[in-house]
Parts: sequence; structure tokens; C-alpha cells
Amino acid sequence: MSSIITSDHPLSVPRQKSLNALLDTLIPASSDGNMPSATDVGFELYLQTQADELLPILRKILEDIGDDFPDQTREAQQDIIRHFSATNGEVFQAVLTRVYDCYYQNDAVRRKIGVVAGPLFPQGNTLEPGDLSLLDPVIAHSDQHEYRKPD
Amino acid sequence: MSEDIVDILIVGAGASGAAFAWSMADTRMRIVCLDQGDWTNPADYPSNATNWESQSFGPYHIDPNVRGLDTDYPVNNEESDVTVVNFNGVGGSTILYGAHFPRLHPSDFRVNTLDGVADDWPLSYDTLDPYFALNDRVMGVSGLAGDPMYPPKQPPLPPLPMGLVGETVARGFNKLGWHWWPSDSAIISQPYEGRDKCLNLGPCLSGCAQGGKSSTDITYWPEAIRRGVELRTRCRVKEITLRDDGFADGVVYFDADGNECFQRAEVVVMACNGVGTPRILLNSKSENYPDGLANSSGMVGRNLMFHPCGFAQGIFEERLDSHKGPAACCILSKQFYETDLERGFVRGYNMQVTRGSGPLTTAMTGYLSGTIPWGEGHQEAFAKRFDHVASVGIICEDLPEAHNTVTLDPELTDSDGIPAPKITYRYSKNSLDMLSHGMDRAEEALRAAGASEVVRSAPLAQSGWHLLGTARMGNDPETSVVNSWGRSHDVKNLFIIDGSIFVTSGAVNPTSTIQALSLYIADNMKKNLTSLFD
Ligand SMILES: Cc1cc2nc3c(=O)[nH]c(=O)nc-3n(C[C@H](O)[C@H](O)[C@H](O)COP(=O)(O)OP(=O)(O)OC[C@H]3O[C@@H](n4cnc5c(N)ncnc54)[C@H](O)[C@@H]3O)c2cc1C
Repeated sequence: MSSIITSDHPLSVPRQKSLNALLDTLIPASSDGNMPSATDVGFELYLQTQADELLPILRKILEDIGDDFPDQTREAQQDIIRHFSATNGEVFQAVLTRVYDCYYQNDAVRRKIGVVAGPLFPQGNTLEPGDLSLLDPVIAHSDQHEYRKPD
Repeated sequence: MSEDIVDILIVGAGASGAAFAWSMADTRMRIVCLDQGDWTNPADYPSNATNWESQSFGPYHIDPNVRGLDTDYPVNNEESDVTVVNFNGVGGSTILYGAHFPRLHPSDFRVNTLDGVADDWPLSYDTLDPYFALNDRVMGVSGLAGDPMYPPKQPPLPPLPMGLVGETVARGFNKLGWHWWPSDSAIISQPYEGRDKCLNLGPCLSGCAQGGKSSTDITYWPEAIRRGVELRTRCRVKEITLRDDGFADGVVYFDADGNECFQRAEVVVMACNGVGTPRILLNSKSENYPDGLANSSGMVGRNLMFHPCGFAQGIFEERLDSHKGPAACCILSKQFYETDLERGFVRGYNMQVTRGSGPLTTAMTGYLSGTIPWGEGHQEAFAKRFDHVASVGIICEDLPEAHNTVTLDPELTDSDGIPAPKITYRYSKNSLDMLSHGMDRAEEALRAAGASEVVRSAPLAQSGWHLLGTARMGNDPETSVVNSWGRSHDVKNLFIIDGSIFVTSGAVNPTSTIQALSLYIADNMKKNLTSLFD
């Protein structure tokens, strides 16, 4: 859904295309196809809920990388973003934080990496109890590990 | 209002204030506790929402300067190597704490006798032993009896699951022949006293939605209130005032609407932690006490101790489920806890094994440390690290130094105009040498456990979670602020019960000892009610 270009989007159509290319460059899909790219995790919806803070920084980076960004090779795109991050460190970090925020809080992504989808509570996690017989050597050498007497 | 006298007025509803109120409730005296913060609602904690991870960077941030709630006060850390972190509200910092719950060691109370540094405490581990046990029972502590590094003790609940992280690092410790043991944790491993057990959610440091973590809003407070203690929230104390006879008269505070109020009391008990308590004492100036109340020794605000710390994170081939389970509670090693001068420093450190973080934090810290790039290679680097890590934290003993201080900031204030605390703190050479030794040993342990790569972060600046020493106890009024049971040498009806009365810091998380001390002080007061002010 997120790679769809729409007319009621707060960004112009060329900028939407650049945004998709930007997302795809920041978090590309995994080479085995198992993990989606950042374009495929509902960034438009995320943008709608965070527009006030997110739009100004997105506009800044999109203006800087230009409308021909989608037409560049992947290598050139990485270079352009690297240059942006070197000259606009704070804005870049803010954008990256939001992209990661959207990506790693997406239920599909979470399921794929073994994290509870949705809120953690009340589902919770199961943990291996751990093998307490591993303590045997410590107990066997208790004399070496004895606490220091205070007097 | 000014004629309304309470018997005992406690300032601060955190770890120590709660335990003290609970114990004093036995007396059926009129006990009131004031806290500047609110009750927190577990249904509001981040784990209830999908964006649980990003919320911990905002409204549940551990740094009050970032969190910026109107119930917080700002802290000036500009001249400090370490940033103060806390929580202000019912439960105090236990709302956000990791609940790693070791006790100080018997030797920690005798560092001068044993190692010729700092001062001995005016009481011993044995004195506190029954109060440690009582506190473990009321808080709900999980652990395993038999650790040779302590005198015998019996936690009321079985240990938390070690998980793959604990097992893996334990194997490393075993290869090296080092001590380790499952951590005592103030997190319940089984249903206990009407609370359900820990669900292994993970992010304990942004509040526990399940209530498995023993914060004092759900342990001590409900019972203390049932037994008659009155807890008033949103009451921010500005100063302690004095009667003509030199006794404390009560406190001036601001209520939720910013109105200045006065509460008289027969006894005032400070429990605002190692930063909040000296702040209010220093702000309680008068003709007789131009340098702040209870400060004839000049020690109020001095000898501030944190625990200098660092973390080494090992990356493992196998999946360790690192993001699951209580982040700070797993296993520990006391192999280097005691002095060995051949190591090049005095005293020692604790090795606290911690689990990993959630995916967003993993990605962001990976970016900041250069270990997980954005773009090409992101997925592979993330997959290699996420859930494949175990960390060893090095918690160093911090020795008291008079030049490490809490003072009043001349300009910065909270929203009620009370001067903010200013922290002046530098690591000592002893601390840095100790930390460097500890980081090497942490890496050694992780490599022995099979880590293919180790990333170090030390010293860690945002680590001022243990706030100690700024109103130290002692027998000599010239060099200490309170006596061996928390009573001010200068003002006989003023008591201090929080981490500020620590003489030395030990090398373990302090809350178990802070609470044992506050229960001990309460018990002493109960036993000496008729001669309390002699
Ligand atoms: C992120 C984090 C992790 C931690 N992890 C651990 C851990 O794993 N193990 C451990 O042992 N310890 C840990 N700690 C430390 C632990 O929380 C503290 O040691 C403990 O809570 C201190 O108890 P206290 O009673 O001294 O103060 P606090 O619990 O901090 O309580 C002080 C209370 O006083 C109130 N107050 C302050 N000033 C005023 C005023 N002027 N008027 C009215 N009220 C006031 C505050 O609002 C607060 O509620 C951690 C702390 C943090 C922040």
C-alpha cells in the first residue's frame, strides 16, 4: 500500500516518488526477499499520524536529494544520502529515526524477526529457564569464592 | 492549616519513603508523606501500546531533563561526567528501575579497616541482615540461596529464568573458573501476594505493565495506606523550617496549583534521594544555618557517588532471544569485587549480565555506533545482532570525594521556582583504572562464552541511576550529617533515610540496602519513641 502514489498526499507526486526511493535506499529489502523494504510497511499512514514533526524534515531532505533521485542507480542514491547526512547530520538522524520507528514497530516486520506483534502486554514472552547445574563448578569451588569477612 | 500537626512527615514516596512509611504505620501515629509527583497508572506504561519502544525515548525517558514532566525538576549536569536519571512520583525511581537487587557485602561496611580508604560505616551488614530479609519479603524478591559470596540468605521466590543469555555467559564464566550466580531480582518469578508473575516483557526501564516488577507503588504503598498513612501527591517541598528551639517545625511546599502551603510536624523525614535531599537541605537556609540545614559539618551535598559503569556487548552466532525477559536481571559475577592491589586500583566491581534491547533500539544504537549501517547491508547487520547479543555491565565502586557535589544552581529552577540541583562530578583515576580493568575482563568473559565480536561502551555518561553519599552517616558530627540511625546531628527531629546517607557506595545496585536502612531506622525510632530526641 505504501508505495502507491496518491493525489491527496501532502507531498507532490515527484516528491512521493523520491520518498519511496529514499525509504528503499535507507532500508532495502533483504537479499533473500524475506524482509520487506521500508517502502512496504505503511509509511504513508505513519506520516499522517506524525505529520507535524515529520513533514518539515522530510521536505528538507527531499528537496535536497532532488526529484531525479529515483532515477539514479542504487550506488549513486547511497552517495547522495551519505552527502546529505554529512552536511545535515541532525535532520538526517531525525529522518532515519522516524523511518526505523515506522519499520521496526510494524507488526509484519516484528513477526518476521521474532518479536510480539502489537503491544507487548499482556502477551509477554517465554524464556528458557536456564540450566542451573551450570552452577556446579562454582559450588564445588565455594571456598575460592567465599565472601570477604569484614573483620 | 499551620496548626495541623502531624506526628511524622515524610518527604518523598520512593524506595526508602515507602518502606519507612510502611514500617512506621505500626505505631498508629499520624503519618503523612508528601511527593512532588503523581501515581502512575500501569495501563499507561509503554508496553500497553504498539510503539512501546519509541515511548521509552519520550514520556518514559529515564532522564528528567528529556522527560520534562511538570512533576520533574531539572538537573544541571554540565559539570558532571555522569547524567542524573530518576523518576518523580509515587514509587520514586523504582517505577523505572531495573530491579537488580543485590545487597551490599559485609566488607562494604568496613572499607577503611580492610583497605585503608574512605570511612567505615557506623553499622554492619549483620545489623541490617534482618531488614534485608524483611525487605525481600515485602518487595517480593526472586533469587537462589547458597551464593558463597554472601552470608546465608533465602530469597522468598525462586530465581528468574536465566534464559539463553544467562546460560551462555555462565558457560564463559565457568571456562575461566570465575564466580557467578543468578541475580537477586525485585521481580516476582511466581504469583506473590496478589500480584501475578513477570511476563518477560523486557523493557522494565519504562515501567512494568504487568506489575511483576516490585516498584514501591504496588508493594509497600497499598499496605501502608490501608494501615492509615496519608500520601499526598503533587506536593513539592521547598524547605524545612525551624522552631525557635532549633527543632524542625515542618515544611513549606507547593501544591498542585502552585499555592504555597505549610505542614507542621513533630518529626521530618527526608527521602528525596541522593540529589533531591541535599537540594532541599541546602535550600533550607536560616540565620542559624546559613549554609543549609543540618550542615554544620559542611558535608551536605558533598561526597556524591554514582557507580562508574560501562557495558561490553558480545555478538553470538546463535540466537539468544536477547530482547526477552527482564533487561537488567539475569546473572552476575563477583569475581573482582574485592581489593587486589596488583590490579592497580583499590576496591572492586560487580559484573552484571544484561539482556539485549528491542529492535528499534538495536537499529538506532547500531547506527550510532557504526555497527549497523543504513542502506546496503542493513538487513544482514541487523539480523546478525538483533537477539544475538549478551552484555556484561561493569559496576564500579565509587569512593567518596568531597569535591563531587550537589549544590544549588544559581539560575536554573523548577516550575515552582525552587533552585535546581547542580551536579559537579569527575571520575577519579581509581575509578577509571578499575573500569578499564573491568571492561577487559567483560570482554574476556564474553569471548570465553563464544562471542565473535565485542563492542564496548565505557564510561557510560547517562548512568546516574545510583545517587549516594550526599548526607553521609557517621558517629562524628564534624564529618557526617546523620548518626548511625539516620538522625541529623544538628536537628534532633530531622531524619534522613535515602541513599544520601551511604558512607561508601559498594559496587552493587543500592536499592536493597537503601530500603534495609530505612526499615532499620524506622525500627530504631519505634524502639526509642520516648527518647527519640535525647
Ligand atoms: C533507570 C533506572 C534504573 C535503575 N535500576 C536499578 C536497579 O536495577 N537496581 C537498583 O538497586 N537500583 C536501581 N536504580 C536506582 C533506584 O531506583 C534508586 O536507588 C532508588 O529508587 C532510590 O530510592 P530513594 O528512596 O533514595 O529515592 P527515589 O526512589 O528516587 O524517591 C525519591 C522521591 O522523592 C520525591 N521528591 C524529590 N524531591 C522532592 C521534593 N522537593 N518534594 C516532594 N517530593 C520530592 C521524588 O518525586 C521521588 O518520588 C535505578 C534507577 C533508575 C532511574
